[in-house]
Amino acid sequence: MTCDQVKEHIADYLAGALSQTEAEELDEHFARCAACKQEIAALSETWEMLGLLEPEQFNAQPSAQMRERFYQSLEAYRQGLESAAPAPARRRFFDWGWHGWAWSAALLAVGISAGLWLGGRERGRADLATLQDEVHQMRQLVTLSLLEQQSASERLRGVDYAYRVDQSDTQVLAALLHAVNHDPSVNVRLAAVDALRKFAGSPSVKGKLDQSLNKQESPLVQLALIDFIVDERDKNAVPSLAALQRSPTADKNVKEKALWGLSQLQ
Amino acid sequence: MPETRADNVLMQKVRDGDLAKMAVLFERHHRALFRYFLRLTGNREFSEDLVQDVYFRMLKYRHTYRDGNPFTSWMYQVARNAHLDGVQKRKGDAPLFEERLEEPASAEPDPSEILRRRQDLGLLRRALAALPVEKREVLVLSRFQNLKYERIADILACDVGTVKVRVYRAIKALSQIFFELAGEKAS
Repeated sequence: MTCDQVKEHIADYLAGALSQTEAEELDEHFARCAACKQEIAALSETWEMLGLLEPEQFNAQPSAQMRERFYQSLEAYRQGLESAAPAPARRRFFDWGWHGWAWSAALLAVGISAGLWLGGRERGRADLATLQDEVHQMRQLVTLSLLEQQSASERLRGVDYAYRVDQSDTQVLAALLHAVNHDPSVNVRLAAVDALRKFAGSPSVKGKLDQSLNKQESPLVQLALIDFIVDERDKNAVPSLAALQRSPTADKNVKEKALWGLSQLQ
Repeated sequence: MPETRADNVLMQKVRDGDLAKMAVLFERHHRALFRYFLRLTGNREFSEDLVQDVYFRMLKYRHTYRDGNPFTSWMYQVARNAHLDGVQKRKGDAPLFEERLEEPASAEPDPSEILRRRQDLGLLRRALAALPVEKREVLVLSRFQNLKYERIADILACDVGTVKVRVYRAIKALSQIFFELAGEKAS
């Protein structure tokens, strides 16, 4: 056994998990290698001392309040979920739609649960951080859920909701790009292009805009995308703009806009 | 706390909507989790908050628990993330590892021997606190939580060989820091 092979077995040696053969091979090596013998002696001593540290901390029990906090929080969480469940009979509730009411209730319930859950010494700060996290996740859920709806007006609301999530949210960004590329409604595609501007700082947006341009058939969406590309100074899109400008089938206004875009990016 | 199939079944029930079963999992594992965090952070209050956070996360992400996935592996995966996020949020706050943990009542007759051992353990605790968190973590899991390397590999999402290499590097680094501190003290 070489010195390097010995090192591979040290973790098992310390844990007492070596086979009989491996243990004998290690002992043979230690008999003729002073450096490894010295190292294993030092490491074993530290490992054994860690074992002495163990009973020292073993009596460290959590406080009685911890259990109390857990049971209060579990109950609050359960009640929160029950109150957040949408009622199927209320398909349309005023003009807002059930999504709005259900998610509002969910946000409120989760907020209350999170507040109760993290009660304690650092209550205020921890509450706020958790609540912000929860609110963000709820907004993300609402956005993604709305973007998948059958109705174009619901999907438009989903795009509108996207303005409320953090620009670092990659799932919402991906959903918006998908909407720009594949949504059957021109209105939704246009709204999604506008919403994408919120994510303009993200490198994954820049690389995708020219791909989106190639997929579009609607002149309106093409015009909006060219504006966005120019505002973003996205030079990756130059070949796509040039192809569009030469395309015999492209709309006249789009061709002019593509030419303008090229001149802006040069 | 040894792994049991009962834990996996309980967590499946929680995932499927029977949230009250989380109380059983709390009773079975919260002390081990508390000690895990205490050894990682050296701070009792922070450790209690992290335990609460783990149970909250396990409820919130209960749908991500998969049948056949050992519950304790999953729990420690959640615990690792809670710890990393918790430390991140604490940046700028008072440093951890300030709290002095309980000293055990010793039956050893020789006062000088007791004193020396206490000094050594004090130095070891300081060395552990000085260790980078990823090294401290693998030692806590293997030495204190008594988890097998295969289970630690599940938790850290790597292979068993990598765990063994990490344990070796961690104990070597700890040993170096400890002997340096002991040398400073002796000189």
